[in-house]
Amino acid sequence: HDLSWISKIQVNHPAVLRRAEQIQARRTVKKEWQAAWLLKAVTFIDLTTLSGDDTSSNIQRLCYKAKYPIREDLLKALNMHDKGITTAAVCVYPARVCDAVKALKAAGCNIPVASVATGFPAGQTHLKTRLEEIRLAVEDGATEIDVVINRSLVLTGQWEALYDEIRQFRKACGEAHLKTILATGELGSLTNVYKASMIAMMAGSDFIKTSTGKETVNATFPVAIVMLRAIRDFFWKTGNKIGFKPAGGIRSAKDSLAWLSLVKEELGDEWLKPELFRIGASTLLSDIERQIYHHVTGRYAAYHDLPMS
Amino acid sequence: MRTGVIGLILPPTFSFLEMMWRICPALAVGCTVVALVPPASPTPLLLAQLSGELGPFPGVLNVISGPASLVPILASQPGIQKVAFCGALEEGRALRRSLAGECAELGLALGTESLLLLTDTADIDSAVEGVVDAAWSDRGPGGLRLLIQESVWDEAMRRLQERMGRLRSGRGLDGAVDMGARGAAACDLVQRFVCEAQSQGAQVFQAGDVPSERPFCPPTLVSNLPPASPCAQVEVPWPVVVASPFRTAKEALLVANGTPRGGSASVWSERLGQALELGYGLQVGTVWINAHGLRDPSVPTGGCKESGCSWHGGPDGLYEYLRPSGTPAQLSCLSKNLNYDTFGLAVPSTLPAGPEIGPSPAPPYGLFVGGRFQAPGARSSRPIRDSSGNLHGYVAEGGAKDIRGAVEAAHQAFPGWAGQSPGARAALLWALAAALERRKSTLASRLERQGAELKAAEAEVELSARRLRAWGARVQAQGHTLQVAGLRGPVLRLREPLGVLAVVCPDEWPLLAFVSLLAPALAYGNTVVMVPSAACPLLALEVCQDMATVFPAGLANVVTGDRDHLTRCLALHQDVQAMWYFGSAQGSQFVEWASAGNLKPVWASRGCPRAWDQEAEGAGPELGLRAARTKALWLPMGD
Repeated sequence: HDLSWISKIQVNHPAVLRRAEQIQARRTVKKEWQAAWLLKAVTFIDLTTLSGDDTSSNIQRLCYKAKYPIREDLLKALNMHDKGITTAAVCVYPARVCDAVKALKAAGCNIPVASVATGFPAGQTHLKTRLEEIRLAVEDGATEIDVVINRSLVLTGQWEALYDEIRQFRKACGEAHLKTILATGELGSLTNVYKASMIAMMAGSDFIKTSTGKETVNATFPVAIVMLRAIRDFFWKTGNKIGFKPAGGIRSAKDSLAWLSLVKEELGDEWLKPELFRIGASTLLSDIERQIYHHVTGRYAAYHDLPMS
Repeated sequence: MRTGVIGLILPPTFSFLEMMWRICPALAVGCTVVALVPPASPTPLLLAQLSGELGPFPGVLNVISGPASLVPILASQPGIQKVAFCGALEEGRALRRSLAGECAELGLALGTESLLLLTDTADIDSAVEGVVDAAWSDRGPGGLRLLIQESVWDEAMRRLQERMGRLRSGRGLDGAVDMGARGAAACDLVQRFVCEAQSQGAQVFQAGDVPSERPFCPPTLVSNLPPASPCAQVEVPWPVVVASPFRTAKEALLVANGTPRGGSASVWSERLGQALELGYGLQVGTVWINAHGLRDPSVPTGGCKESGCSWHGGPDGLYEYLRPSGTPAQLSCLSKNLNYDTFGLAVPSTLPAGPEIGPSPAPPYGLFVGGRFQAPGARSSRPIRDSSGNLHGYVAEGGAKDIRGAVEAAHQAFPGWAGQSPGARAALLWALAAALERRKSTLASRLERQGAELKAAEAEVELSARRLRAWGARVQAQGHTLQVAGLRGPVLRLREPLGVLAVVCPDEWPLLAFVSLLAPALAYGNTVVMVPSAACPLLALEVCQDMATVFPAGLANVVTGDRDHLTRCLALHQDVQAMWYFGSAQGSQFVEWASAGNLKPVWASRGCPRAWDQEAEGAGPELGLRAARTKALWLPMGD
């Protein structure tokens, strides 16, 4: 790893804000192309439930919805019922990983279970317990781990220490896929976001993720632009493709299309695969289903027309 | 038009330059000056001697050398039209209280502390030189609060301590020293401050080549002083620097604006966007970007909050010694037996005069607070009578709790309103003007019931709408550039909103005066709490019905009730940034006395009526000057 990669970087806030506004205005998709893009967006969703009141019953419901995200007859109408459209993963708290694995096996589906770990969402616990959380989640059957970085290291400029911590998370994950959550709402400036992204990628993350979904400001276009530029710079320097996941605050189908076009513009079509792009969302799926219902039938669905997740 | 005789009071440790910057503009504009200087300095006496030799006007500059006890005597002399006081906070407060009601105006320039904000993208060595200029040299007037971003804390402290080791202190006229001494009293103050800071857990570092005799105190760096400790609340004495960390730029602004002092500050950052954001966000009178302590006579220097609101230098410095032509000089309204503790404290209760005859009028108006009409806390209302003695309507009886709610609502609306572009504010004022015109017949009929003729009433309504439009159009864009000799780069003179403005409207011209005061206050980005005309508040409340739909909530709040009681609540409120009072002479005296609490700028009419329909008095540039405050932003350039 080479700290000189981050020492000279400058990010200009007003210019990034202007680019973020442009993206939302200039690339709109309509009609059957919109339906196609929405189905593609479904395959990127990490269907998430991270509440204090999760129990095995709502986890089971979630896992079934992950296997059948869109109603059968709507998919048949679009001739997509045999393409194996499922969400990309299911994301839960470590204590619920067993329930999720069981429910997915019962449904006969091999979607990976992602678990959050390392003192989610604030990350203010001892390193020992944080690493232990990761190991336990992997033992329970999670094949993807979403870890949270230590924001105080970023705010005090201790980049070496941050690198070492993330390397330890990487080792604790073993074979599991590591997503590093940067909690960009708490990092203070876009330059810090870029530097933290670079450090996370150098330390071996498979994905970098914008936020936990529990901060005051979650995934916004300006931080996404900075992170995508960091991913591209890392690819140019090393040849490794690291994935990107925005999470928190993405609720409408229109937003998800804007995110897809952002990734397409900044990184290209190769990143528009579930292996390199995920969207962390829970209510997004129902809004996409409504849009698909409208596209197929021409009518707006009522709340009870579509199955709950 | 020039003011007249100026009384100038200088603090015990003043510099020759400061004195010249106060005397010269006054003389240039045509005023004559009487200066009171501490007895230990002969320089002003020499200056006065030189001025006396100059020409056929003896007595243009007069200097009295005397102790501080002469201050109130000088200030209350009948011939003096303005007192310019420069010195310590508590003395300024005491002077403000004692001059309430006297015919002299008061300009205060208090406090000597400044602020230095060091971000992680700064050139740290240059910032350390800025600290030396600010606190450990003879150029700096006082101590320094140093805010350092946490990620560069260790580097900055190390460089500071290294630099302190090379400072030399000695007799001021010795050509090889950095700093001199400022007297035994200053030295004692520093000793006390350092001892207290240590007892509260701070770390104190002192260094430098300093003689160990009495009046010399070494450069001092205090760190780890918790912000809640009593030591951190008082002003930092010279030559002490108190250093504290911050995490992000947003936190830096909160910490920096979290003191009552608002003199001058510098921002050290190599990133333009961040430097400008911090510069605009700091509530101080002067901001230097990547520099500290630059001064020039053509740039206004002053402060806000408890640093007093008088200016020297630049156009604002000249306005200090001028008053609008055509307006009469201030009259004294001093009444020696005004009891400040009981003025406006209790609301006189009004019993109904007799059984009500005639049809009952509409239900009582509430208070207009937070964008809607609310019932007052006291749940009572007062009757308003028209010119023939019949009942015109009922309005709410507002009290202290309602004032508190109104000021809170105004504060909530302030950031959004101040952040709007001038064009957006102008659009809202024009919308209100259009609404006023649609309501012309109702307003005119109410004015008629108050005794105006129909034609005059309609003309008043039209003039009000015109004034709203005029102020909307007059709203200045952000800042204009000053030319400063000797600096490469612009200096911006920004006009910023004051904050929450409390306005007590006069009894006459119930509609026109209300609108003439509301329009400039809003146009410059302030939010207002208004007490409308006591004789007929119904006109103002009619306008509120339109404001409820046109304006965002909390922008303008109108509280009716007993005028003296509401004046007392507003004048004593610590979170009202300025006050305009157009009521009685006694009320004016109280308002001036009470403003000493948070040293808010006050404009009081002292009981003199004002011709609101004349352009000069009702819509003149004086209103625009008083509705905003200036900030000088220095941007040295070069790479």
